[in-house]
Amino acid sequence: MEAISLTINGKHISCPPGTSILNAAVENGIKIPTLCHHPHLKPAGACRLCLVEDEKSGRIMASCVTPVSTNMVIHTDSPEIKRHRTNIIRLMIASHPESCILCNQGNRCELRQIAAELGVGQIGLYPMPHYTGLEEANPFIIRDLSKCILCGKCIRADHELVVVGAIDYNLRGFKSLPATAHEMPLEESSCTFCGTCVSLCPTGALMVKNTRYVGSPQNESVTLCGFCGVGCSLVMGSVDGQIVEVNPSHHDEAVNRSTLCVRGHFAHDFLNVSERLTSPLIRRDGELSPATWDEALESVAEQLISTKRKYGPQSLAFLGSSKCTLEENYLFQKMARAILATNNVDNGGYGSGKAVVNLITEKLNGGGRITPLASLEKAELVFVIGANPLQSAPVVGYSLKRASRMEGIPLIVADPRKTGLVAFSSLWLPLVPHSDCELINALAAILYTRKSYDTDFVNRFTEGFDLYRDGLSSLDLERVSRVTGIEIEMIERAADLFEGKKIAFVIGHGILQQRYAILAISALLNLALITGSLGGEGTGLYILARENNQMGAWDMGAVPDFLPGRQPLYNDTRRKHWEQIWEVKLSPDPGLNMIRMIEETEKGNLKALYIMGENPVRSLPQPERISKALKNLEFLVVQDILENETTHLADVVLPGTAFSEKGGSFTNLEGRIQSFEPVVSPPGEAKPDWEILDLLAVRMGYPRRHYSFRKIRAEISHLVPMYTGLEQEGEESWIRESSNLKLFRPDGEGEPIHFSPVIITEDETHDEAYPFTAILGSLRYHLGSGTRTTHSARIEGFALKGDLEISPEDGARLNLNEGDRVRISSPCGSISREVTLKNDLRPGLIFIPMAFHNNDAMELIELTQLGKADSPGWKECHVTLDKM
Amino acid sequence: MTKPKEIDWERLEAIIDKNRGETWALIPLLQDIQETFGYIPEESIEPIAEALSLFPSQVQGVISFYAGLSLKPKGKYVIRVCRGTACHVKGGRSILRLMKKQLGLNEGETSPDYQFTFETVACLGTCFLAPAMMVNSTYFGKLSPPKVTTVLTQYGKDKGEDKKA
Repeated sequence: MEAISLTINGKHISCPPGTSILNAAVENGIKIPTLCHHPHLKPAGACRLCLVEDEKSGRIMASCVTPVSTNMVIHTDSPEIKRHRTNIIRLMIASHPESCILCNQGNRCELRQIAAELGVGQIGLYPMPHYTGLEEANPFIIRDLSKCILCGKCIRADHELVVVGAIDYNLRGFKSLPATAHEMPLEESSCTFCGTCVSLCPTGALMVKNTRYVGSPQNESVTLCGFCGVGCSLVMGSVDGQIVEVNPSHHDEAVNRSTLCVRGHFAHDFLNVSERLTSPLIRRDGELSPATWDEALESVAEQLISTKRKYGPQSLAFLGSSKCTLEENYLFQKMARAILATNNVDNGGYGSGKAVVNLITEKLNGGGRITPLASLEKAELVFVIGANPLQSAPVVGYSLKRASRMEGIPLIVADPRKTGLVAFSSLWLPLVPHSDCELINALAAILYTRKSYDTDFVNRFTEGFDLYRDGLSSLDLERVSRVTGIEIEMIERAADLFEGKKIAFVIGHGILQQRYAILAISALLNLALITGSLGGEGTGLYILARENNQMGAWDMGAVPDFLPGRQPLYNDTRRKHWEQIWEVKLSPDPGLNMIRMIEETEKGNLKALYIMGENPVRSLPQPERISKALKNLEFLVVQDILENETTHLADVVLPGTAFSEKGGSFTNLEGRIQSFEPVVSPPGEAKPDWEILDLLAVRMGYPRRHYSFRKIRAEISHLVPMYTGLEQEGEESWIRESSNLKLFRPDGEGEPIHFSPVIITEDETHDEAYPFTAILGSLRYHLGSGTRTTHSARIEGFALKGDLEISPEDGARLNLNEGDRVRISSPCGSISREVTLKNDLRPGLIFIPMAFHNNDAMELIELTQLGKADSPGWKECHVTLDKM
Repeated sequence: MTKPKEIDWERLEAIIDKNRGETWALIPLLQDIQETFGYIPEESIEPIAEALSLFPSQVQGVISFYAGLSLKPKGKYVIRVCRGTACHVKGGRSILRLMKKQLGLNEGETSPDYQFTFETVACLGTCFLAPAMMVNSTYFGKLSPPKVTTVLTQYGKDKGEDKKA
């Protein structure tokens, strides 16, 4: 379409049709004041401050909602316009309470700023404030709606960005205000306390409830969120070197598009708590006591070297962190491999689907890594399986809800529980836990029988279809229906939705941590192949990584079986390549994974363990067993930021720093690599983790230091082809895919992708003594085992008790009422919880939220790896319930 | 309608079901419920929202915006007295005072027996009948104090005293 040319303030401008006058002006450097406009929200024309005048027609109009038209002559700042604007501001101030002096918004109040710009001091009007009372019972948000100017940003953010719909305008005229349904307080509404409304509110009507009053922050810097795998971009405000405020950053490309979740917004309180480690500790006479860095580092270096000399490199192990930076994970595995000659390196992400990711890496040869959340909103169909992103990775949940509500994209949710996403879905498949692979094969079989699969894609990019086809034809749908608990008609309906579409698959811990994870992912990859759902926009496998740098820790080789860049140890060429770079000899045999490390410690084979940024005593199954195992070590060094269950067992504790106190990079679940600079200095004597590793390496005989995280970053960028963008492209880059598969190569050359055979799972045998299946999962208020989130006074103040959720039918059968206490016992251990009855569970199924009560839910699960193919089945277990 | 009884859920569900899945149909649906029940029970907000893929807060916002929709049960007879300019000039204020006295109700109130709801309206648009009022959908114009009493008696109100139906 032809561009439209017009004049704004005498400047000739040309822009595409449909552009608003406001955007046309802003893009050309002309500022127009607004209070209700935000680039990520639909324009509403609510505040009327963006009024402009068209010279030709004499019309005065709100520029945010008026599209440009040819030959307009616009004035944004004429005396007439200024008079109108000033009057609007005077009226707004007249109905605003005079509490500016106490208001947290302070000089950041946009109403005050615009009033000052327009030269409005004394308004000369009789003040008519509209007092509403303060709402501050919840620990997160204070609502003082007397300061509300009805710009509607909170409401639009709630509807258009986070799609919760907790609030909307209520009543009309003078009485009109944003309200929850039935005008309940926020904590009794559907509000998720993501705080997005607070960060968009131009006045102090919505404020964050701070742990202490500090006024406006002295400094604000852009950084990243330290919790889940989404990697939201944040602005952190600090006062006197402490983080006091967290807001989403508003830059356009940010994955979170001006939103956050309750964790990201409020749970960073852990950064300032008194349990932060601020000086190195050494165990002397059985007690941990403060030491200098020299003493601590010397002790660690000496112990590791002497253990290696005495028992060989296999007696050492290194457990890194999916929360530490790329630079740190790279250095950590380099220390293990290049200095101490062991492949016994892993990271806490092991339990979050390492086996699954290995399989995908192998099958797709490193392709299909780029999965931008923005593309989900352009998909033809989204299949969400074993994932509850509304709780585990809320910002992914927002994308999915927007896809459904705004874009009309059909969602299919396959989950044993009726998750929050079901209300936004076209179809819910309530399958029996770990019967996913059966369901997926059945879907493929139906599509195959109907001949509605992508033959062209299959012919061009795949191999082994014949065998797969035979497997599908011999599939017994009746059996699938029995095993999955889903009627054939329902599966047929899902297949109807699949027909002719390319699909985006969203995979969560329901798959990643289940017993049949490998079978389920093989089946899912097959389904992706026959529907042609790989390699294009809005297709592929979206894996909900739990931790912020889980993908990155794997990429950096902080795993027992891969070198940096996910290059397998067994590959001679790749191994030789790294041997040359590091000038060492590397063993081709994979080292111990996290679970094997514990098992070898129990057997006495592992003598020294270096843990960086993990709290296995809290996060792994059978905490007592873990604790006992760790006590069996001759030497345990723990590098962490918080005093926790694991640091209590250490011989040496090294105080590391949180992401906000150091520089580095994280790789998120999309394959986006983001770098950041420190916001504040480390507390006390704590040092950035990379610096600790760097100092230690030299003490253990490594010839040179790196001195800065930028040098480490440069090394990674130079040596790992996937990460070449890290240095070249600055703050933000994407994984470089270098697959040898035809599908991912622009030149059309390369290898086909192989179908996996159709494998049928064994029928479940149920132990009568443990009749319930307990699903362990997360609530959005905590992350993982909750080591960090439980240190937030605000999160703890929300008074969630981690109640056991049970279906009303089972409740009635066991004579359990809301609030009753039960003992939950598995063959492994038992815990107690209060009961809450939930309609979203089918009888026989119960849900236990993790992270509560020191994450004691882990008592119920056995550490030993369940099932085949390296897949820890931590997602569910069989239990019995007894009323207490 | 006399006192609101238990909500007839079956009837309510039937009305909601007529427009299931049709987001545009919110207002006609609300009007239908208002017409049938004389008000929109608060408990129906969630089922309406669910059926139309809206948020409960949105449904509530629409109900509370329109004067023609009400979350509170209204009386059998809804009396609307005009406060427009013409009615004001013609002595509308004293009509209003008299109504309040005779009904024993303030603006926006409903009598405890759910016979009458008393409201005022910015303008009924029947200035030639000033001062004017409406009882449900019937207009009464050129009002005078005796005429007000007559109209009220006609609807079963006897000089401010409750008349048992």
